[in-house]
Amino acid sequence: MTLKAIFEPGSIAIIGASSTPGKWGNILLKNLLSNGFKGPVYPVNPKEKTILGTVCYPSVLDIPDPVDMALIAVPRSHALTVAKECGIKGVQGIIMVTAGFSETGDKGREPEKKLMEIIDRYKMRLVGPNTLGVVNAHIGMNASIISRLPEPGGISFITQSGTLGLALVDWTMEMGIGLHIVVSTGNKSNIDDVDLLTYLASDPKTDVIAMYVEGINRGREFIKVAKEISKPILVVKSGRTRSGSKAVFSHTGSMAGADEVYSAAFKQAGIIRVDNIENLFDSALALSVQPAPNGNRVGILSNGGGASIIASDACERMGLIVPALQDDTKQKIREYIPEFASARNPIDSAGLSTYDVYNGMVKQMLLDPNIDALIVIYVDTIVNDAALPAQAIVDIHRGKCNKPIITCWMGGAGTRPGVDILEKGGLPNYPVPERAVIALKSLVQHNGFLEKVKV
Amino acid sequence: MNLTADQLYDILKEYGIPFAQKITATSLQEALEAANKLHYPVVMKISSPDISHKTDIGGIILDLNSDEEIKRAYLTMIDSVKKKAPEARIDGVIIQEMAKSGIEVIVGVKLDPQFGHVIMFGLGGIFVEVYKDVSFRVTPIDRETARDMILEIKASSILQGARGQEPADIDAIIKVITGLSHMLQKNPDIIELDINPLIVYSHGVTAVDARVLTL
Repeated sequence: MTLKAIFEPGSIAIIGASSTPGKWGNILLKNLLSNGFKGPVYPVNPKEKTILGTVCYPSVLDIPDPVDMALIAVPRSHALTVAKECGIKGVQGIIMVTAGFSETGDKGREPEKKLMEIIDRYKMRLVGPNTLGVVNAHIGMNASIISRLPEPGGISFITQSGTLGLALVDWTMEMGIGLHIVVSTGNKSNIDDVDLLTYLASDPKTDVIAMYVEGINRGREFIKVAKEISKPILVVKSGRTRSGSKAVFSHTGSMAGADEVYSAAFKQAGIIRVDNIENLFDSALALSVQPAPNGNRVGILSNGGGASIIASDACERMGLIVPALQDDTKQKIREYIPEFASARNPIDSAGLSTYDVYNGMVKQMLLDPNIDALIVIYVDTIVNDAALPAQAIVDIHRGKCNKPIITCWMGGAGTRPGVDILEKGGLPNYPVPERAVIALKSLVQHNGFLEKVKV
Repeated sequence: MNLTADQLYDILKEYGIPFAQKITATSLQEALEAANKLHYPVVMKISSPDISHKTDIGGIILDLNSDEEIKRAYLTMIDSVKKKAPEARIDGVIIQEMAKSGIEVIVGVKLDPQFGHVIMFGLGGIFVEVYKDVSFRVTPIDRETARDMILEIKASSILQGARGQEPADIDAIIKVITGLSHMLQKNPDIIELDINPLIVYSHGVTAVDARVLTL
């Protein structure tokens, strides 16, 4: 069965809704009611008549209309009964926030098994248990404990850690990154990574899939499914450090830690593994708004030499090439920059950052067949206007441009007018060159996977 | 089920992994005959189902060049193994042709709880033990993937002919990896396996030693 009932439900029951501020059942209901979700929301609690001005039902079975999805936040002792009632009611999907299952060890395993029996018997699907919820920014559904709904965008985010993941969603809003689906997977006892990848692959609003993973259960299916997905998939996997390897039979046994195997599996699946959370969202942003380059040859230009050299060094460290430009390109670029400035890649305009200078430099570099992608840097000073070069690039980008452009506007508050223009214009912008290079590296890697790994 | 060395060699040979020729001898006389049949120089190894680290107990003697050296090695080895591993059953000794020197690599297998069999590749000796310069792939592994994993290690330039050396036969290593990958599909109960060393020449490879752990 499709997971649509969970991610795009028409109607939602919230079982364990509460009128007490601060309780989960209260936060969840408030979040569902206050973010623009259009379908009916039915609070369920046998002790209340109305909560937050909405009619409350004693049980899901008392709701007169059909219910697609149930968000459950009752105590564990009630969870199985409530799930069974959902089955009888014909609910198709459950988000089980209630905790106290297998994550608590042996004593929680038996109830989780029973819960799964109920789910299977009534042919429902379930996120969790022990999840912090699901968000669909495009339909205004905040079935989670996130305090604000993210801006709608093309990145969907799967997180195995509830609290970390949800904190990150708030952070993406500061970064101006738009999200579509956010799902905290909890114990993954029914819906797991393989199911989620399959769903998001065919979800038209998801352009990029970002994952925070601690462990994967169905390893071989995971590789198989991911290989067939041409959308970029990015992952941060925790547990990189090797736990002291114990005495084992063979060399291979002692070398093949779990993490090395995950790295190999991600490579074979065409999944971009990044080192940390910042890289994850930096890369996801670039992949969601820019095309994949045809190769790894980068053109760099800047109004200050230092920043472009930092970018150039970072490219080299990460296996990207900063090649020489064609003579023809250099000649044309010299028309825009002072005589003493460098028309060699990385290009330094010696301080100039007018609309015409940036427009001219960028256009010429994009035309050069030696260049697959651009990093455009602007360093803010008191005499420059950050908005002018930003507008120049946005105007070029708006035209037909099949080579990716990554920008790096450096210098704090003064860059804001420029950064706003870039963000609105669909250019991924970063405050330091290294982050721009890492994002570009992910674009290059994705292109490599499209050519070699993806089926 | 635990495979003896002989059974393991036979299985690997079936999948196109060439081993240095060898004969198991159960007496000194047989050892002498074997050495003459394979031609000197040869290597002598203890044959025992109970011993996995042969070197530690004097169970491997390299570069034997004459009947006289075989006699001396045989007596020394049996004596040393009996002293250092008194519990171990001894089937005899293995006489193996002494492989020419070349680039030593290791190809291994581990059964991972999430992903199933994975194959490891690396250069032998300190490259594995000190630099941990190895690569992994989940099976099944095709030729293209095998090539990627060989070229992925940092020291791969050594195989490609660094410093004027003739390049190593990478296609022959690829065959070993893909052959091993096929073998694993038929042998799901292998937990760990090392082919170490696999000696790589400019033409061809020879596996010298292998060990396996099964369920």
